Amino acid sequence: MKRPKMTGPVQKVLRAMLKDPTVERYGLEISQQADLETGTLYPILARLEDWDWVTSRWEDPERHIRQGRPRRRYYRLTENGAEQARLALAEISLASQKRRSRLSAAQPSTLRTSL
Amino acid sequence: MNRPLPLPSREAAAESDPISGLRAILEVTRPDADVELIKRTYDVAAYWHQGQKRRSGDPYITHPLAVAAILAGLGADDETLCAALLHDTTEDTAYTLAALRSEFSAGIAAMVEAFTTLDKARGRRERKVAVAQAMGAAESGGTRVLAMKLADRLHNMRTLHFLPQEKQLRKSRETLNILVPVAQQLSMDTIKSELETLASAALERNRHARKASGRLLAATAALLPAARRTRWREEWLGELHTLPTRRRRAGFVAHTLLGVLRMALSLRRPPISSGQAR
Repeated sequence: MKRPKMTGPVQKVLRAMLKDPTVERYGLEISQQADLETGTLYPILARLEDWDWVTSRWEDPERHIRQGRPRRRYYRLTENGAEQARLALAEISLASQKRRSRLSAAQPSTLRTSL
Repeated sequence: MNRPLPLPSREAAAESDPISGLRAILEVTRPDADVELIKRTYDVAAYWHQGQKRRSGDPYITHPLAVAAILAGLGADDETLCAALLHDTTEDTAYTLAALRSEFSAGIAAMVEAFTTLDKARGRRERKVAVAQAMGAAESGGTRVLAMKLADRLHNMRTLHFLPQEKQLRKSRETLNILVPVAQQLSMDTIKSELETLASAALERNRHARKASGRLLAATAALLPAARRTRWREEWLGELHTLPTRRRRAGFVAHTLLGVLRMALSLRRPPISSGQAR
């Protein structure tokens, strides 16, 4: 399956956007919600957009003109993107749960040998 | 008080007589001033502002004292000087207007009250109305309150750099739009020109800061593939524009710069091969 590499920051972005998948957010907003610096965020957004997990559009002119500021670029998950992202995140948390339980099962013996 | 080292003489003087500076001005402009009343008023104000600090880290009382000193320089009367010393007490401390009324003359209390009303008027329109009312209530009463407001703003503008950028901009615009015209109408020329200079300088500083970080970002975007460059440049400049403080703008530029190289690589790579890379 073709899929973007699910690095930690990518997961953070997807989790933030999945909180309310239909809401459109602009870059700074996502960087705050995902707790990522813009330098990390924008390359991820660009990649997710290339994969069609995310789409973006310029803000409607009336709004930013009325508020007297430059127009914003708004991002949101595509339907397919939201679905794939949920799936990918679920797989990751499942894998980490397995790893954790294996780790805790292994712990007594490790403790003994280190003693 | 235990003082291990002798303080420099000026500070020692300031400690024993915190209003020595004000006294010195009054000797020149108002030799007949009721210095005893003014000292007593200072003590009350200092008591209530105890423990409060300005953004600069100075004790809060330095602000009303500076405002009184500005007014003293203009030859303001005793009531105005006392009201200036007390001008933030009823708004920012537990001191009530009723208590103030019982401890000071009706004239002083009325000026503090009028000042607080003027100060509370929020929003541009409301503020303009409040100023117009004070002008209308002129005789000397309203004018004296406006003079207090001007002195208050002058000291705040002199110490503006301690405020966050956003607030600096708001105060500077308001100064130019409302307070400078008031100073002009009251023929307070020195105050008017200093307010104007300070406010314009603050706005100008801000424009420069924005331009510089904007240029850096625009140059950075040039690293991206031509087809995508324009969009990202516009997006980043827009975000930059909405950031309120210089520090946050600098951070935004720095972090975006760091990310751009990564981005340039991933955007120049066609999407399909980037998928098969893993």
